[in-house]
Amino acid sequence: MPREHTWRYIVSALIFGLVGVLILWRAYGLQTSAQAAAFLNQSEYYSRLLKTIYPPRGEIYDRHGNLLAGNRTVYEIGLDMASVEGDGRPIGLALSGMAGADYNRVLEIIKLAREQELVYAVAVDYVLPEKVDLLRAYNVNLPPEPEDSYNCSNDPALAALICRPHLARSYPERDLASNILGFVTQDTNGNFGIEQQYQDLLAGLPENIWVPTDPNRVQELPQVPGGASLILTIDREIQAMVEDVLDEHVAKTASESGTAIVMDPRTGEILAMTSTPRLDLNRYTEYETIFDENKPYNRAVGQIYEPGSIFKIVTMAAAIDLGLVTPETPFLDTGVFYYGGITIRNWNGQAWGEQTMLGCMQHSLNVCLATVGSRVGQENFYRYVQAFGFSYPTGIDLFNEGSGTLRTPDENGWYPADLATNTFGQGLAVTPIQMVMATTAFINDGKMVIPRMVKAVVQDGSQYNLSPQYAGAPISPETAHTMTQMLTDSLEFESSLALVPGYRLAGKTGTAQIPTEAGTYDLNQTNTSFVGWGPVDDPRFLVFVWLERPETSIWASEVAAPAFADIVERLVVLMNIPPDEQRLAIVSEGN
Amino acid sequence: MLKRSRELIQAYQQAPWRRQMQIIGFIAVGLIAVSLVGALYLNITARAATAGRLVQEYQRDISDAEQKVEDLQTELAFITSVELMQQRAKELGFEPVLPNGITYLSVPEYQGRPSGAQLAPRAGSRFSPEARLPEEYTLSLFDWLAGLFAGLGGF
Repeated sequence: MPREHTWRYIVSALIFGLVGVLILWRAYGLQTSAQAAAFLNQSEYYSRLLKTIYPPRGEIYDRHGNLLAGNRTVYEIGLDMASVEGDGRPIGLALSGMAGADYNRVLEIIKLAREQELVYAVAVDYVLPEKVDLLRAYNVNLPPEPEDSYNCSNDPALAALICRPHLARSYPERDLASNILGFVTQDTNGNFGIEQQYQDLLAGLPENIWVPTDPNRVQELPQVPGGASLILTIDREIQAMVEDVLDEHVAKTASESGTAIVMDPRTGEILAMTSTPRLDLNRYTEYETIFDENKPYNRAVGQIYEPGSIFKIVTMAAAIDLGLVTPETPFLDTGVFYYGGITIRNWNGQAWGEQTMLGCMQHSLNVCLATVGSRVGQENFYRYVQAFGFSYPTGIDLFNEGSGTLRTPDENGWYPADLATNTFGQGLAVTPIQMVMATTAFINDGKMVIPRMVKAVVQDGSQYNLSPQYAGAPISPETAHTMTQMLTDSLEFESSLALVPGYRLAGKTGTAQIPTEAGTYDLNQTNTSFVGWGPVDDPRFLVFVWLERPETSIWASEVAAPAFADIVERLVVLMNIPPDEQRLAIVSEGN
Repeated sequence: MLKRSRELIQAYQQAPWRRQMQIIGFIAVGLIAVSLVGALYLNITARAATAGRLVQEYQRDISDAEQKVEDLQTELAFITSVELMQQRAKELGFEPVLPNGITYLSVPEYQGRPSGAQLAPRAGSRFSPEARLPEEYTLSLFDWLAGLFAGLGGF
């Protein structure tokens, strides 16, 4: 190496060395500068993404495992704002034509997103896969976008569209059991029924996690446990049958509305529950047009009404339980009874002469029951009424249960006349489910069983079966048996339209006048109801029917009783209950 | 004398080209070593990155599969809904039966339709994987030694 060239190498080395030192100096400066923390945060921010994992909402099944509420894929169609060309009119046209979006709304979203300098904006959500398929195949000259691509379309004009799949609630049975299930709106909140009652359990807990963008630091996503699934007590075949029969009778009697409940009275499991109107749960946006402000979503638990004569079972049970009367106790019906300053008359305004307590129940005599109630006394009467659960929610696991209204002697506004009218179900208000729970006392040796909708909860791979719960015993087993016999005989002796050939049933009609805002009763319109159960020797079902303001007849015996019979006639088939004679023969064969 | 010494030193000194070759050799070995380490690092990093991407893809596949399962389950429920089943039964000529149209037979030991669905094992009755593991997988060294000596003691 010529010596005269050495200085060149030295200068080069010095320059490179200096550059290296400067780089190191700058690196050190950056590491220790005031902005270092900000740079560090910025790098951290871009090194990972915040991802919210929403667990799939738990399913809802009927008692036999048929799906009533599940989930299906829908799409959120968003806009990559950097790729939106012009004012986005082609996007607006495509989304309004194929995805059901509002054209002007899409343009407005684009405009707003631009103003706010957003990089991504949701144009429309909950788009069905069929519509996304239309978008994917929009440009016929190019192969469609593959299904697993987030791009919605291969059309250059729609390059900004991003389709992200997610799950949304779906109801395969449409309006079946809609009064029970409730529905889930786009904000993922449950509304009414089971969906709202068990919102937290069904929805699960969303989890926020940071996902590293650096594939070297990728980690396994945590397994977010899904929402719990529920197995309901209802039987979808029985539910469908009850809805059909109820609709048929509501139409036939020109009633304003109808309500029906079918329960297993031994366990409190609701086998079917419905009221009108109903809603196709996949089109829940029609809720406001179907249900105005005065219409409760589920009348069976949310609507109170004056029960009328059906309530006489409570009065009679109290009198028998206190030992004041027996079914054979005679009573002379004069057609009028003066009490607390008012005159009580029978439903037909006539005197029925010599009767027994059985006759009083059979002919549903107000005068007789008011007299019996006065002998029970106000203290005892209201004690029994409350022991039967009236004026308290039953505890059924459905959202927005009513508790009824009951004035007691220790409250302002109570008058002695209230006792007389309350004995035959006027001047107080109950919910259908309260009436059903009270009736279970006659079937379970005096014990009331709490009605329930959920049979089991499936969570984290395990099934938790729920047990029946009891709500006290307002009457003795003897009283319960006596009442059952009375209500069986009274149905048979009056050849009620509620009877079903081959099956011994017990039950009671209830015809109630409807109070008006003026404080009087509407003489032309009634609430007609019927509660009954069977087979009497081995009760498997309890059926409650309420038809509101029927026009063909004002009497429950002519309107509600036939609806009860129609339900029972089909119910025994679905529940595989042979006629009593055959059933007893089979049982004796087995023994 | 001094000249003689210089000659001797020169005689036993490495030739300059040799020394240069040695230096170049050392540098080359260093460069090769660094390159090897770098290549190995890059290879491992690239494979880790590929594996990471695969994990991300599998996670997406799992998510897609779960959605697909939900979709199919719901679709099946739509197809077998009460309304459609009734319609299908009607088309096939079936009609609802009334109580008087049924003959009941006693079938010995038939328990009837189960009263409720069993969609998952009952809580508390689930199979515990630990219970079925061979003891070699759970045995501590101390336990093994204790067992060994106990066995020897038996002789």
